[in-house]
Amino acid sequence: MTSIEEPVQKGLRPVRAEADDTVEVRFTVNGTPVVLDLPARVTLADALRDHLGLTGTHVGCEHGVCGMCTVLVDGEAARACLLFACQLDGAEVVTVEGLGRPDDLHPLQESFGRNHALQCGFCTPGFLLSAYDLLNNEPEVTDEELPAELSGVICRCTGYRNILTAVSETRAAYPEGIPEPGNCARRTLVGRSGGRSATVAEEHAEPSDEPARTVEIVLPEGEPTIAVQVDTALDVPFDEVWRVLADVHVLAGCLPGAELTEELGEQLYAGRAQVAVGPIKLSFHGIARVLEQDRETGTIRVLAEGQDTGGARTQADITLRASATAAGTDLRADAAVYLTGRIAQFGRALAGDISRRMFEQFAESVRQVATTGEAPQQSHAAPSAFRMVVATLVDRIKRIGRRRGGE
Amino acid sequence: MKAAPFAYARPAALSDAVAELVNADGGGKVIAGGQSLVPVLAMRLARPTTLVDINAVTGLDALRAVGDRLEVGATVRQRRVEHALESAQVPLLRLALPWVGHRELRSRGTVCGSLAHADPAAELPAVACCLDAELRLAGPDGERTVRAREFYAGAMTTALRPEDVLVAVSFPVAGPREGFGFAEIARRHGDFALAGVAAHVRADDAGDVSAATMTAFGVSDRPVTRDVTGLVRATGGDRSELVGALDDVVRELVDTDGDAHASNGYRRRLLRALAAREVAKAHRRAVRGTAEVGA
Ligand SMILES: Cc1cc2nc3c(=O)[nH]c(=O)nc-3n(C[C@H](O)[C@@H](O)[C@H](O)COP(=O)(O)OP(=O)(O)OC[C@H]3O[C@@H](n4cnc5c(N)ncnc54)[C@H](O)[C@@H]3O)c2cc1C
Ligand code: FES
Ligand code: FES
Repeated sequence: MTSIEEPVQKGLRPVRAEADDTVEVRFTVNGTPVVLDLPARVTLADALRDHLGLTGTHVGCEHGVCGMCTVLVDGEAARACLLFACQLDGAEVVTVEGLGRPDDLHPLQESFGRNHALQCGFCTPGFLLSAYDLLNNEPEVTDEELPAELSGVICRCTGYRNILTAVSETRAAYPEGIPEPGNCARRTLVGRSGGRSATVAEEHAEPSDEPARTVEIVLPEGEPTIAVQVDTALDVPFDEVWRVLADVHVLAGCLPGAELTEELGEQLYAGRAQVAVGPIKLSFHGIARVLEQDRETGTIRVLAEGQDTGGARTQADITLRASATAAGTDLRADAAVYLTGRIAQFGRALAGDISRRMFEQFAESVRQVATTGEAPQQSHAAPSAFRMVVATLVDRIKRIGRRRGGE
Repeated sequence: MKAAPFAYARPAALSDAVAELVNADGGGKVIAGGQSLVPVLAMRLARPTTLVDINAVTGLDALRAVGDRLEVGATVRQRRVEHALESAQVPLLRLALPWVGHRELRSRGTVCGSLAHADPAAELPAVACCLDAELRLAGPDGERTVRAREFYAGAMTTALRPEDVLVAVSFPVAGPREGFGFAEIARRHGDFALAGVAAHVRADDAGDVSAATMTAFGVSDRPVTRDVTGLVRATGGDRSELVGALDDVVRELVDTDGDAHASNGYRRRLLRALAAREVAKAHRRAVRGTAEVGA
């Protein structure tokens, strides 16, 4: 008679680890292959959040009841708190970060927004992935069955009516099956707890015997964490400004907390930068490559990459454009900044404010140097970063106060 | 809370899995889907020294018909059984599976894991008892087979010894003149049952009832099975008559004290109503002569 023998879970390798050993796990998260070395008792939820910096997967009860941690494992919804990460060798995991992009949300996300299906949003990632699994694997589900089928996730804000409407609408809009997760691509994942975790980027991996500095800076494929654009009008002639931009040493000196330590040739530079935000102190070591330096257009484009000992990583694609005006020079900075690991926790808005302030300070330094012809005075102990944060917060509080005040 | 540290073994052969359990000297625990075990570990209600993950063991993931029985291997997920063509031959299993927790748990939870866990309010042990399923166990002295009705010794207590692995369970495939019923009452979908029942009726070619069985769960420390052939014959399978006829059986089956969720008397009322309805359904289906699942 019939006999279906499915192969043993793809890639599940035999292992044995003592209680104080770690276990190597190779799996794919949102299209990115990762290798983690973890104690066996670390759950998938904790591995995603702490070791890969993917904090979209929420944790509520940690024993399978609330559904907050629901992710897709090999295409089916599963509780990330009821799986030890080491059990997932060879598996394919999709989290809410993989579902859609900020500028191109998955239809389910769109529908949740449109239908007010999220209030505090804590349950939303779990509901989205539970709903995705349902519509993808059981598209014949009826409206009457939806409440029972979605009862595996609890919403404390009790937004169930709108959640059901959002899922029902999405199903109706895609009778032939809902679109696949739209944000699965290779990207850098670095955890908050640092140390042992790593991302494999096979195509870009450098042979281990070569020094890291010969590596190309490869920006992640996904959306940047923050996009910054700062325009500053400088009361200094273009030629003076360009003199600053043309000298990478002087330029670096204008960046708050940054320091150029080595010139590696071929427009590649090594350096370090320090940022202190509240209780978090980050000390980045990194490299930067000047891709373009064109006096005609007044443009300089730099790719930079830095890694903190704690496992935080930042990458940026920065373009500075100087153009002559009647009053002096317009300096425009465009930066796409990718944050992973601990720093990604700041949240977009605050991280964006901080980056913007850094560029404003930078522009001010450029103005000073261009005016006085002297290297900017700054310590590398990063007190400026602290002041920056305080100023950012004060600004925000003022703004909120103004809004409350009815302006 | 997080699980306390444990040694982790994921062997590729059944004999190695048993050897790991033997070496752990009582401190070992099998993990299949983890959907019952991980919460227990997270709450530190259990602190096994070694977890033996059986998911890489070859041969345990088979779902297949063997003669007139359907065999479900130890690592076959509940959700796979729910949708597999093969399992349509065991309608009671298909009727019961949607009641087991939620989709998100069934994608990892296994049929055998639920049988081994032996929660008194779980659905699958009741199904196994009602159908007189056979469980295949492997231990240090080889394999042995235990009938489901003899497997359960009490709440979370089974014939499994600490060094045993439940290899597979086999259910009899339904014939054309067999009918089934399954229902439970829980506080919300996906919760464990306050009271539940699985029913099986077999008729002969003339349409006369030749066997009728019901298994109650959630009302005792283990699933309890009774032969109700005489009652079904006497009532002609009529639902309203069955309510009264089943009264004595129900009274005897419900032996839990009341708890926060339901009193003993409430559980009896629930079970009486459910049993009459599901036995009547099973009877109707059997007499009609198709082993179909639909009403
Ligand atoms: C929120 C929630 C709701 C739930 N609701 C229900 C419900 O309504 N009904 C229900 O029945 N269950 C429910 N469950 C429990 C679970 O989903 C069950 O399906 C099942 O008990 C788990 O199977 P598993 O494969 O995950 O077993 P595991 O968790 O891996 O193991 C459970 C136990 O069985 C042992 N074991 C497992 N496999 C074997 C084997 N092959 N040999 C020897 N020992 C073995 C383990 O050592 C452990 O003691 C629920 C769980 C949660 C978290
Ligand atoms: S955190 Fe996983 S189900 Fe609640
Ligand atoms: S939106 Fe707040 S918990 Fe659901």
